[in-house]
Parts: sequence; structure tokens; C-alpha cells
Amino acid sequence: MKFAIALFSAAHAPSSRRALLFAQAALAGGHEIVRLFFYQDGVYNASDAVVTPQDERDLPKQWRAFITEQQLDGVVCIAAALRRGVLNDEEAKRYQREAVAVSAPWELSGLGQLHDAVQDADRLICFGGA
Amino acid sequence: MPTLHVLSHSPFGDERLTSCLRLLGAADALLLCGDATYALQAGTAPFEALNTRRVKLFVLAEDAEARAVQVPDWAEAVDYPAFVDLSIHHDKVNTWL
Repeated sequence: MKFAIALFSAAHAPSSRRALLFAQAALAGGHEIVRLFFYQDGVYNASDAVVTPQDERDLPKQWRAFITEQQLDGVVCIAAALRRGVLNDEEAKRYQREAVAVSAPWELSGLGQLHDAVQDADRLICFGGA
Repeated sequence: MPTLHVLSHSPFGDERLTSCLRLLGAADALLLCGDATYALQAGTAPFEALNTRRVKLFVLAEDAEARAVQVPDWAEAVDYPAFVDLSIHHDKVNTWL
């Protein structure tokens, strides 16, 4: 079974943790994740600038490790990222900003990538809110 | 088309659960996670609504445990592998973001 997973909430939201645990369980169950799409506040999960308190789960770090180890397609919505100051090197240069917060394995791209993933996947599962 | 509805917001803060129950089809199921598990606090209006409707009800076990919410015998506590299975056994998953 092919899953597309969309995450709408920031790294400190409980739903971001649920998204990661769902994704891990899906792969452990022998399923495929065609794409992880980080939309709206979900873009903060891709930010290297997030500093998580020591007694909390470091979601940005865990997403990075998960996506790297499993060689997944982690796409961050470019419009949502720009308005939240979550820029990669290319966008920082384009808009003359000092702060670069996103790097590989993450990729900034458009909402079309979510649409494309939904076409390819058997199920779209969204996480967000509380 | 059987749909799995996923709720994570507290039923005491908004109308998501009420709206969801209104839309829920006979073949649909409901998964409560996060603060939505508070709907299973005995004696509350959401608890009575769910108990009366007897919808196919699932609860993310660790979220219920974290909130000391007792899962009644008419609901089924699930872990993440079971959540994945539920999403496969239903044609669509509708998350009430």
C-alpha cells in the first residue's frame, strides 16, 4: 500500500509526533511512503533553527534522521516556508536573507507536489491541529 | 465509500465531534487521538453521544493512557500499526484538522 502523508502542524504540536509514529509504523508494516509533504506550520518540522527543550522529543531532528535513513521524499511547501522564514540556501540568496534554515534531505517545492503524491498514492493521511 | 474519520481536538472546545457524528456514514469509523480522547470521559455529553450512537469507535491507546481516560468496552484501543491497518481498511481517511 502506498501512502502520501501531509503534515500541517509545527514540530512542537502533538500531531507532528503522531505523523512521525504513523510514518514509521507504515514502513515497519512493509508499506511505501511516496512522499511526505510539509504544509502550513508543518514547514517548521524541516527547520534546522528549531531548538527543542532537552526533555522533549526533537521532532525536526527525528524527521531528518527518518527521511535520510529511509531515503524518503520530504517536500516542504515553498510558499508556506517563505512566509515563515524557513528558507533554504537558494531562497535566502534570491530574497537576500542571511538565515538559512533548510537543507538536504529536505526540498522546497510547490503544492503541486502534494497533488502529484495524492495521485500516486493509495491513501492520503493528513496530520495537523491539536 | 467507508471513511475513517480522525479527530484530535478536545470535544469540549469546538463542534468538530458534533459535526463529524452528523456526517458519519453507516460504514464509517471514528478514531479518537490526542485531546479528542477526552470524549470518552464517562458522564460527559460527548461520551453519551458516542455511547448512544454506537459508532465504530477506535482510540489511540497511548493518547488515552496519557490522559488517564478509560476506554469503554464499546470502543477499541489501537496502537500505531493498527492505525495504519485502519487507514488501509477504509477507502479514505478524513482528518478533522
